This record gives sequence, structure tokens and C-alpha cells, in this order.
Amino acid sequence: MADTTTLAVRPEPLLPRRRELLFGTAFGTAGVVMALVTLIGTYIATRDAAGAAWLAENDIPLTQPNMQLLTLGMSAVTMQWAVWAIARDDRYHTYMALGVTLLLGVAFVNQTTFLYSYAGITLAQPEGPLFYAVTAGHLAMVVAGIVFILLMSFRALGGQFSSRQPDGIAAAALFWYACIGLYALIWFAVYVQK
Amino acid sequence: MALTETRPEIDEGTTPGAERPAATSLERLVGTGDHLSNGRVLIGFALFFLALSATGLTLAALDATTTDGLLGGIAEPLLTSSLVGLALLGVMPLLVGLGFYLVPLQVGSPSIAFPRAASLSLWGWLVGAALFVLSVVLDGGIGGSSDDAARIGSLSLGLVMVSLALGMVCIATTVLSHRPLGMGLARVPFFSWSMLVAAPIWIMTLGSAVAHIFVGHVVDADAAGLAANFEGGIAWMLRAPSVYALAIPVLGIAADHVGHTTGRRLAPYGLFQGAIAAFGIFSFGVWTQNEVAGQTVVWIAFVVLAALPVVAMLGGLGDVLRRGRVPAIAALGALVLAHLLILGAVLAGALQALDTAGSGNLFDLETGALTTAQLLFVVTAAALGGIAGLVHWSPRIFGSGVGEGLARIAALAVLVGGAILATVMLVQSIAAADGRGGLDEAALYGISAAGAALLTLGVVASLVAVLGAARSSYDGEADEGTAAGGTLEWSAAGVPVAGAELETPSIRSPYPLFDLRDGTEAEGSN
Repeated sequence: MADTTTLAVRPEPLLPRRRELLFGTAFGTAGVVMALVTLIGTYIATRDAAGAAWLAENDIPLTQPNMQLLTLGMSAVTMQWAVWAIARDDRYHTYMALGVTLLLGVAFVNQTTFLYSYAGITLAQPEGPLFYAVTAGHLAMVVAGIVFILLMSFRALGGQFSSRQPDGIAAAALFWYACIGLYALIWFAVYVQK
Repeated sequence: MALTETRPEIDEGTTPGAERPAATSLERLVGTGDHLSNGRVLIGFALFFLALSATGLTLAALDATTTDGLLGGIAEPLLTSSLVGLALLGVMPLLVGLGFYLVPLQVGSPSIAFPRAASLSLWGWLVGAALFVLSVVLDGGIGGSSDDAARIGSLSLGLVMVSLALGMVCIATTVLSHRPLGMGLARVPFFSWSMLVAAPIWIMTLGSAVAHIFVGHVVDADAAGLAANFEGGIAWMLRAPSVYALAIPVLGIAADHVGHTTGRRLAPYGLFQGAIAAFGIFSFGVWTQNEVAGQTVVWIAFVVLAALPVVAMLGGLGDVLRRGRVPAIAALGALVLAHLLILGAVLAGALQALDTAGSGNLFDLETGALTTAQLLFVVTAAALGGIAGLVHWSPRIFGSGVGEGLARIAALAVLVGGAILATVMLVQSIAAADGRGGLDEAALYGISAAGAALLTLGVVASLVAVLGAARSSYDGEADEGTAAGGTLEWSAAGVPVAGAELETPSIRSPYPLFDLRDGTEAEGSN
């Protein structure tokens, strides 16, 4: 009885400010994207200065980066599926879409580590530091995106998101799309153009 | 609403009614997410580091006046590090600190967005700033000869940049998502609007610079390599057009101050907002870090066109002041003159743009002095604007007004000192052109040292004024009179209470308190 009384007088928790997380993520993502774009620009400038000798001794197949791009491309669809589902209070599809996105994200990490071991680029060779600054920098961003989605998934499971308050999922989606866009840039600038 | 969002009042295993040890004042200061406290701390330390950087500049200039040198090998690194310190340890955090404190009040919010992130931004910046100063002392900083100290200097600059960017994320998010009903973006007070315009530009500029610091550490992390990395990868943010971005909030402070002092509504409001936004757009210079970009017509256009919104602001504010017949107060004069300093920076930028465009040698100017002049003009304008803002809002920040006499001394010293420094650099860049020989170096550095000393004096005077105002408030001499401002931060007198919900009147124009004063509903009057 006493517990019931306590619950009755306890004030309702405040709803988070609408779109706060989304706006914050957008600004933060802008900074991260600019950092990665700068790294890619530096990579391209250094490679152009080095000429034909750049990565001449390493074998970087295009198959693996293509698969990585496809994986992230598919995750864009599943992430948007999650955004669509939460906007309609379809919790089952939200969880499923977030789960598949996480799976694809982990697959991307796995593919990247495979590519690293296959290409055999070392930090000691001149191309190594910049190559890893760009690709591992992006990999770190993807891992951050996975953690972000995971956190938002737990919050969604806790019932914190709904059609009235979909911001967490939308914010995670925004960050994830930035990861995908940047990978498309890396795919072309680093792997296709080599 | 899920029950998981409700924090239990009593933890399991805790005896009800048992008293917890009270937090000490230091614990409260360090652990708080209160935007008022964090803003005040950031403002105080920013002024301190601004004074320190100006002192470094004075010492470096004094060193150059002597034949044998006073400081040995660290004079050159001290000069470069001090210039960087003026921007990243001085004026940027000063304006961010003002944003921490005032933006939530201006939009009627009891807190800043992401208060813990804002707190992290403050302490991250403070640690970074302290480490940077330490590295300069240990012959590191920028261009020092000690490898380890240079690495510390570079990393600490990275920490400072990330922290400032994080702070701007919090401020901009507050403007966008904490506004009350009725306050559309077209009704946001000018200072908050200017911080919103500055935020994406600062965040992207700092993000790009941080990437270069990262590259410096993974590619060539010795002292010489890091110095070359700074020159090739980071120095662009301290010259036109990127450097203009430091002064964006000054336009907002000036517009808010003029509206408050004259008691008149600035109209058309959108035109003033547009001018601030246009200045922001022209100061976006991440794309100019490549040398080739610096020789294009687009670059010339960005550098030169930035003058237009500043002139428009100056004209608009001048017109309101002329109609308002206001007394000559220090902060207002400082803000008007800050616009002229920004125009000085644009002039220096335009000279460089015309000089280096196309073939690259139209006037044969000395580029190093010219870029230093741009930085000094903008830094002085931003410092002047920040200090004027502090004076203007001091009844709300410290509880009592800053003394007008001290404010005049501070504003005058900063203005004259900074203007001397920047003008000497501008003149030197022209005089030192090919075949012209330049000025007498000893005289040049002597004048520069005097200018830097005046700048230091002005910043110290403003720090003293601010501490005096804070102390008056602490001693119970707070000014409880209601100020007649038009925007929400003036809706109560004295220092606001942390976390208190403000009584927000109905927002029907950019000046809700003027609406109350005039008894008008001012429907659609923005």
C-alpha cells in the first residue's frame, strides 16, 4: 500500500527534448565526416605525389571492398527499415531491422580485418600509416556506429522509443548513413583508384 | 512511459533517512553539469589563457628587438604558439563560455543540451590548454625543438579542438531543440543565432584540423615533422577566410546589445539574421587548405564578399543607434569598433587574395605577415566582442554590473593594442615586398611589443573587472534592478538559479519582453 502511494505521488519523468539527440548527432557527425574527408584528401594527395610506386608491392583485390560496400549498402536498407518501423510503433520489425543492421555491421568489421590480413600492408612501409589512418579511422567510426545502434536497441527494448519519440533510432541511422557514405568514398578513392 | 526511466528514490540496502556526506565545493564545481557554473569557469580560464597568450606574444616581440635575444631558441616557437593560443585558448573558449551561460537563458531553457558533454568539453579544454602551455615551456608547442614536448603540444591542441567542437555541439543543439513554443528560428535572439551559425563552421573546421594532427602523429611525429605538419595542414584555419569564423558571434553580441541598450526592436529582424548567416557562409574555409584552392576566383570571392554582411550589420546597427540616442558606453563602442577590426581582417584577406590569385605575385606582398595580420585583426575583434558581451550581460552572469571605468580601460587597451599589432603586420607585409626592403625590424618589433603589452593589459583589466563583479555579487552587493532587455535572458534580475524553470511569456516576436513592456501582442511583428 505504501509503495502504491509512493508511485502515485512520484512525478512523471520528463520526456526528453524532441530531436535533441538527432540534432546533437548531426553536428557531431559533421565533425567526424570532415575529419575522415580530410584524411581521404591527404591520402589522395600523398598517393598522387608518390606516383606508380604507391602500394605497388601489395595485392589489394577489389572483390573484398565490393562486398564490403554491398554489405553496408544492404545495412542502409535495414536501418531505414528500423526508422520506418519505429515511426509506426511496429516494435517487432524495429527489433528485427536493428538486429540485421548490427549483423551486417559486424560482418563489415570481419571483412575489413580479412582484407587487412590479405593485403599485408604494414605500418613500416611508406603507404602504411596513411592507409590505416583512413581505413582504420573509418573502421573505428563503424564500430562506434555499431555501439550506437546497440545502445539505441537496448533503449528501444526498454520502451523508450515510439512514434512520438523516435529520435534515438533516427540519430543512430543518421550516423550509420554517414559511415556508409564515407565508405563509398573510401571504396572509390582508396580501393578502386588504388 | 517505461518505469526504467524513473530513478528509485531509495537505493536498496540504504537506510531511509540516512544522510549522505555533503559534496565539497570543489566536488560540486568539477562534477556539475550546470551550464551557469561551467560557463563562468570557462569564461574565467579563457580570459586567463588569453592574457597568457598575449604575454607570450609580448615576450616574443621583445626578444626580437634585441640583438642577442632574451629567450634563446624558444622565441620563434613562443611567437607561433602564442598566436595559436590567442585563438584556441583565448577567444574561442571565451565565446563558447558565453554560449554555455547565455544560450539556454536566451531560449528559455533551464539547462543546456547534453550537460555532461558540455562539462566534458570544459574540462577537456582546460586540461588540453594547460598541457599546451606546459609543452611551450618545455620547448615544444609549435615549432619547438624537443620531440616529446612537441608531441605533447600537438596532442593537447587536438584535445583543445575536440573539446571546443563538443561544446559547440551542445550550444547549437540547445538552440535547435530547447526553444519554447512560439520561438521559431526567425525569433531566436541574435547571440544564440550567431552561435548556431558558427557551430557547424567551427565543428567542421576543427574536425578537419584534428585529422591533420592525427596524420602528423602517424606519419612523422618528431618536432620538425610536427612543425611542418602544422604549417601544411593546420595553419589554413588561422588565415582568411577560415579565421573570420572566430568573429561570427561578435555580430550576434553586437546586435543583442544594441537592441537592449536602445530599447528598440531591430528590424527587419531577418535581414540582420541573414547578414550573420552570410558572414558565416563566407568564413567557411575548410576547402581552401589546398594551395590550388587559394588561387581560385571562388576563394577571392569568399575572402572579399565577407565584408558585405559586416558593412550591412554596421549600417543597420548604426541606424538603430542614431535613432536611439544612447549614451557612449564602453561595451557598445567596443562592439561597433570590433566591426571595423573585422573589416581590417577582410582588407588584409583581400590583399592576399588579389596578390596570390592567378600568377601569384601581383603586389609581391609578404604572405606570412599578411596572414598574421588577418589573425590579429579577427582575434582582437573577437576578444573585444567577448569582453563587451561579458560587460553587457554581467548583471546576469555575476549578479552585478562591471564598473564602467574599468570596462573603458579594458576595451580601449584591447582595441588599441590589437589594432597596433595587426596594423604593424599589415604595413610590414606591404613594406617587406620584393625590392622594398621592409621596415626597420627593431622598430617594428618594438611597436609590436608595445601593442602586445597593451593587449595583455586590456585582457588583465577585463579579468579584474569580471572578478570584481563576481566578488561584489558574492559580498551581497548584487544589482537586483530589473534590466529592460527584450530577450528572455532578462526575464529576471540577478544571477539565475541552476536548473530553475524560467517563466516564459508568450513568444510572439523576437523580443517577448518588449512585447510585455509595450503591452502589445505584436502578432507576426518579426
